[in-house]
Amino acid sequence: MAVQFLRRAALAVLLMLAATAMTFWLVTAAPGNVAALIAERAAGAGADGEMIARIAEDLGLNDPLPVRYARWLGDALSGDLGVSLRTGKPMAEEFAERIPMTLALLAGGGVLALILSLVMGIAGAVSNGGIVDRLLHALALVGASTPNFFVAAMLVIVFSVWLGWVPTFGVSGFTSWLLPWFTIALFPASVLARVVRVNLQEAMSRPFATTGFAKGLTRGAVLLREALPNIAIPFMTTFGAQFTLMIIGAIVVERVFGLNGIGAFFIEAIRFRDFIGMQAVLTLFVVFFVSVNLVVDLLAMLADPRMRRPRRA
Amino acid sequence: MFKLDRRSFLAASAAMSFLSAFPRVALAGGHGDTVRVAIAGETGDLDLLQNVSTLSTYSAVFDGLIHYGPGGELQPGLATAWTVADDGLSISFDLREGVTFSDGTPFDATAAEWNLKRWMGVADFSWIGIADAYDSIVIDAPNRLTVKLKRPVPAALLELTIVRPVRFLSPNAAAGQPVGTGPWIVESFSSTVTVLVRNDAYWGDKPAFARMELKVVPDELARANALRAGELDVIGGDWVAPLSPRRAKALAGEGMTIVADPGTATTILGFSPKSPMMQDKAVRDAIFLGIDRAAVAAVLFEGFADPTADIFPTTVPTAGTRTPVPARDVAAAQAALTAGGWTGDGAGWTRDGTALEIDFLVSEESFPGSRRIAEMIQGMLTEVGVKVNIETVDNATMHDRRPNFDYDLTFFATYGAPYDPHGSLGASFVTASDTGPDGKIYVHPDLDVLVATALETGGEAREGAMQAVYDWIRDNTAASPLVVTQRLWAVHPRVQGFSLPATDYDLPFQGITLG
Repeated sequence: MAVQFLRRAALAVLLMLAATAMTFWLVTAAPGNVAALIAERAAGAGADGEMIARIAEDLGLNDPLPVRYARWLGDALSGDLGVSLRTGKPMAEEFAERIPMTLALLAGGGVLALILSLVMGIAGAVSNGGIVDRLLHALALVGASTPNFFVAAMLVIVFSVWLGWVPTFGVSGFTSWLLPWFTIALFPASVLARVVRVNLQEAMSRPFATTGFAKGLTRGAVLLREALPNIAIPFMTTFGAQFTLMIIGAIVVERVFGLNGIGAFFIEAIRFRDFIGMQAVLTLFVVFFVSVNLVVDLLAMLADPRMRRPRRA
Repeated sequence: MFKLDRRSFLAASAAMSFLSAFPRVALAGGHGDTVRVAIAGETGDLDLLQNVSTLSTYSAVFDGLIHYGPGGELQPGLATAWTVADDGLSISFDLREGVTFSDGTPFDATAAEWNLKRWMGVADFSWIGIADAYDSIVIDAPNRLTVKLKRPVPAALLELTIVRPVRFLSPNAAAGQPVGTGPWIVESFSSTVTVLVRNDAYWGDKPAFARMELKVVPDELARANALRAGELDVIGGDWVAPLSPRRAKALAGEGMTIVADPGTATTILGFSPKSPMMQDKAVRDAIFLGIDRAAVAAVLFEGFADPTADIFPTTVPTAGTRTPVPARDVAAAQAALTAGGWTGDGAGWTRDGTALEIDFLVSEESFPGSRRIAEMIQGMLTEVGVKVNIETVDNATMHDRRPNFDYDLTFFATYGAPYDPHGSLGASFVTASDTGPDGKIYVHPDLDVLVATALETGGEAREGAMQAVYDWIRDNTAASPLVVTQRLWAVHPRVQGFSLPATDYDLPFQGITLG
């Protein structure tokens, strides 16, 4: 298993390198004069051609792309992700300030998605075609097809503006997190609920479930004791994928709820064409995606002996 | 199939009624003597020499020698009086006595000299006339100094009212610490909120409330919702936390106070002087006449804009005589094209085998809402028979193409008070000026001479020299002014006495009382 895991880890490193190279190329190849933007930011109406040329030279913007990437990679590996062109702060400082906010959003949203999806999926399976099952099916469909900015706006209007139960923006206590967590959890919870429901249904038709019924167990007992453990692997892998996608949702959710996280920074970086900031955040996203998937792979290997066996040609 | 029976319907209705009747929790309470103002981006450390921090916060913390009053009136700031020598080569300032920075450092001629020398004569600030013409500073007395210049700068006093770098920092302030003489002291700043507390030792009128929190809320809808929920007291201002006209209309209907004052910056449709099509005055005339400015102001700005045919509004000094705003006249526009040798009608125009077709460069990032305005203008010009192709690009591309005049039509805006009229004229209408990514509205050798003369002319002759520039621009249809957008703010009912300062770059707080 260790060999299997190391092989996947090595693959993950290669994937990260390829992804950072691609994002670097995409970020720098986009049209527009970054040096001009920086000059305007630095000197306002005083920005002139000489200043723009000097900035381009200082930032190495005139060097060939591979040279720039190699320089960036070397710095990044030594922990230097550069200085944000927008805020003027080192990216390490920006990350230190903002990552806890994003992690809190993702962690809370992830836990909520996990709980909601299991409750909805199991309740649907128990109901099995009844009114609850159909209602939850409809709810999951709505949740999976409603954009999170719309969900956020509706939640804010009802719970913050009309009822005044929770703040509209920022973090000022536990209640501040409720709407952002629910907003970011709704889509993955809806998708996962269907995964739980469908896999439970499939598991309930397998021989071990029939044996359970033959022993006189109730439907609920068979679901929880026999079927649920059997859907762990598909649930875990889907949850991993959905959890990584939540960081995309964080970009919108953080902005709408005024949370000072990585997603909010990324939007501003795009608007300003802060290519150093964009590249650093995209690198963080790549590391997050690959790491979460690696952890999910590891957990799946631990849970299922079949996944630990080496593949045969 | 799911069926909604009578019992379920009644139960759902009862639940909704219960929810809506639930007493609203007063989350917004407990802010007492604090005004909470939305800002779209963090204020930063208010470094006077960098163009990074939010412009609007400087005036709360730092004073200048001269303050900008309504209509460009020069008001005493840290200087109580000033004298410009007859030859214009020196300006003496009587400094206000008894003023201290909020760290206790006295403000005197030595502190003033230290501040002025940080930017006067420094190459990065050569865009400021008085910095470029700087020669030396002489301290005449502990509270009097004289700035000597290599050449006269007629707009020098107005330049001393701008936001940065001209305001005064305590010479003893540690790096990154914004310490001024202004009405507010920075208690703390972070990427989410900047807290200002009243400077009780302020030399001028002190604010009526003790604390101001500048809360970072980047999203406009979130700002509006926070105002509705009572979590914010003030939102708006182009340089603070922009409020769209449509949102303002909605908030007005929900009990919020909307404050809309005449603006100081003009939105202008610029013609590329390098575009062969736009070099034809007949085409420029047709566009000028074919646009319904009143409709643009009424429909796209919900009435929060004033149609104009002049480069500068009357809210900036020496803005010139007023040009009547032309009513849209399709026939006159077509007649202009015919007079220019074009043949055709509402279906299209040609001359020497070339079809009249123009590219309209637009960037939503550079100018939010510009795509909608461009589409409206496209529709209007289509009726004239002018084919308009709208090209939407990002901010960086706009910054690349605009300086190269790589467009036929695009939007510009004048800088507004306190930078105008000298700022926009000197930067946007002069061939030799280097405006970097901003580009220029229009340039022509004849215009260069007129603008140079106007900017170098002081005294009573200045108004006439400025008018000559405006006349040339109008006679040659060198640009097509559209509207002056109003300065738009929304205020929670608990805030009373809200009024706007003279420029968009100042934070409104004077006169505010809390109900």
